[in-house]
Amino acid sequence: MNDTGAAPRPSGPAPWHLPADLAGRYAAGRLDPAQTMSVEAHLERCARCRAAIPADAGWLAASWERVADIVDRPRAGVAERLLCRCGVPQHLARLLTATPALSRAWLGSVAAVLAFAVLAGLASTFAVPVGRAGVLLAFLLLAPILPTAGIAAAYGTRVDPGHELQAATPMAGPRLLLLRALAVQVTAVTLTGLCAPFLPGPPGLVAAWVLPSLGLTAAVLALTRLVPVQPAAAGISACWAAAVLVYGGWADDLFAAFRPPAQALYAITALVLLPVLLTRYRRADHWRYR
Amino acid sequence: MNPTDTTVGVRALTKRYGSRTALAALDLAAGPGVTGLLGPNGAGKTTLLRCLATTLAPDGGEIRLLGLDPADRAQRTELRRRLGYLPQDPGFYPHFTAFELVDYIAILKEMNDRRARHAEVRRVLAEVDLADRAATKVRKLSGGMKQRLAFAQTLLGDPELLILDEPTVGLDPEQRMRFRALVSRLGEGRTVLLSTHQTEDVAALCERVVVVGGGRAVFTGTPAGLAATAAGQVWLSERPPAGRQLFWRTADGRYRALGERPEGAEPAVPGVEDGYLLLLGDTAAVAA
Ligand SMILES: Nc1ncnc2c1ncn2[C@@H]1O[C@H](COP(=O)(O)OP(=O)(O)OP(=O)(O)O)[C@@H](O)[C@H]1O
Ligand SMILES: [Mg+2]
Repeated sequence: MNDTGAAPRPSGPAPWHLPADLAGRYAAGRLDPAQTMSVEAHLERCARCRAAIPADAGWLAASWERVADIVDRPRAGVAERLLCRCGVPQHLARLLTATPALSRAWLGSVAAVLAFAVLAGLASTFAVPVGRAGVLLAFLLLAPILPTAGIAAAYGTRVDPGHELQAATPMAGPRLLLLRALAVQVTAVTLTGLCAPFLPGPPGLVAAWVLPSLGLTAAVLALTRLVPVQPAAAGISACWAAAVLVYGGWADDLFAAFRPPAQALYAITALVLLPVLLTRYRRADHWRYR
Repeated sequence: MNPTDTTVGVRALTKRYGSRTALAALDLAAGPGVTGLLGPNGAGKTTLLRCLATTLAPDGGEIRLLGLDPADRAQRTELRRRLGYLPQDPGFYPHFTAFELVDYIAILKEMNDRRARHAEVRRVLAEVDLADRAATKVRKLSGGMKQRLAFAQTLLGDPELLILDEPTVGLDPEQRMRFRALVSRLGEGRTVLLSTHQTEDVAALCERVVVVGGGRAVFTGTPAGLAATAAGQVWLSERPPAGRQLFWRTADGRYRALGERPEGAEPAVPGVEDGYLLLLGDTAAVAA
């Protein structure tokens, strides 16, 4: 034990306090570990010496700020960290992954894709080609509807209990909807893409849902300028299903709506609508149709 | 009021839900300070405040808030940057912690820098005395704590305009006092609009009071002015009044009656509540 370690208790007969030079060397961090410990043992019990330690108030406040920031910072989930890793700014990652309505949409996508996978597994066991064609048609019909359903589940008073609280913020309206729609679309396309190879059919046909999917989402977003999201998604999805079935029946080819001529139409729709949506949509006026 | 001081201007505002008229050509003007909205259930207070908070589009009429017109998209976004809003029925995400909920709203308010945003979240939680509950899940908070949490998010970014729909519901007396102290401090320089059923809140807190009835503003003035409308119509008597007039037994065992003087009664000092009750009695009579 060295000289500074002999700090007597404050209640003792002759109260001992840190000499100024020792306090100065402590504050500057120039004491060896043993001396530091003794000084700190004294400081713990002596308010006068604590107050006498020269301290940078600004530095101290900032330190506390940093400590508090670490203590009650919300824990980032796997998805949030993944998005941040991919270069998405932290506030956007948080916005996307913390949105309960969105996580419901994601869960829905996963469930739908699992159902497809099971169906696909079953389909390969069908001996009759009609059964396989049926599964493939159902997949092609439903895959583009998946993201529109997800978008419908992600925004608006009807589906989001926190909507009223959020509706008065500057992000509310098209900006938030577009952000959530993009998140849903990317997830749905990724998941559907993962299960597509397991489906029975030529590769070209198995991938024939991609352009309709983009086209449908673009159409739903465009329609939200006139009606709320849920009726927009329901209307577009119903039109799509009807068009596929009617056109298939009329052309006497179940997959007519997925052949190259029709694909060109979806490509044009998506190519025309998506850039317009991405650049202009933020400025859409959504007040009446939430 | 000097027109340049008007931060809230509403003219002939109408809103219908189907065939039900919630706002019938309502007019309102208010400046900085605390303005209280009183009115019976279904009077249209929430509808009015939702229109002002830009979460509901009115059918007709004009709104100017901080000189901005919410009907215009760009001005509406600008307005949203400068207002704080406490809905009557704030939906919560029960599995969020208190901190996460406020942080989430802060992101929607475009506070993108994480460090600064978190410091602001801690500040507003401390303002409503919830600092030690930051890590508690919303579903584990009591009703009054949830109300304070919803109030906390309105303070984010220190907005110039606060729209509070029944902010004192569920608060215990100590928290109610704390709320009054905070709001009256905010009322210096900022505009606070709050609705309430608590006439004591209005008397204690508001420099202006607007009574809403049947979708219209039926009284605009000071709380003292509202109380004064009941002058000469508030009575105290030893026995219950005989007529059909409104009366109730007070804590000291006497009967307080409104309207015509009951036999043997002596006049009492009118309060905000008396003025409010008589005013609505009158409107009800007019409407009938
Ligand atoms: N979303 C809605 N759909 C249909 N009618 C509504 C809706 N919201 C309110 N109303 C009606 O509009 C009228 C005004 O309601 P509002 O909620 O504005 O009243 P309030 O003054 O806030 O009442 P309270 O004191 O009970 O909160 C009422 O008749 C109510 O039934
Ligand atoms: Mg209400």
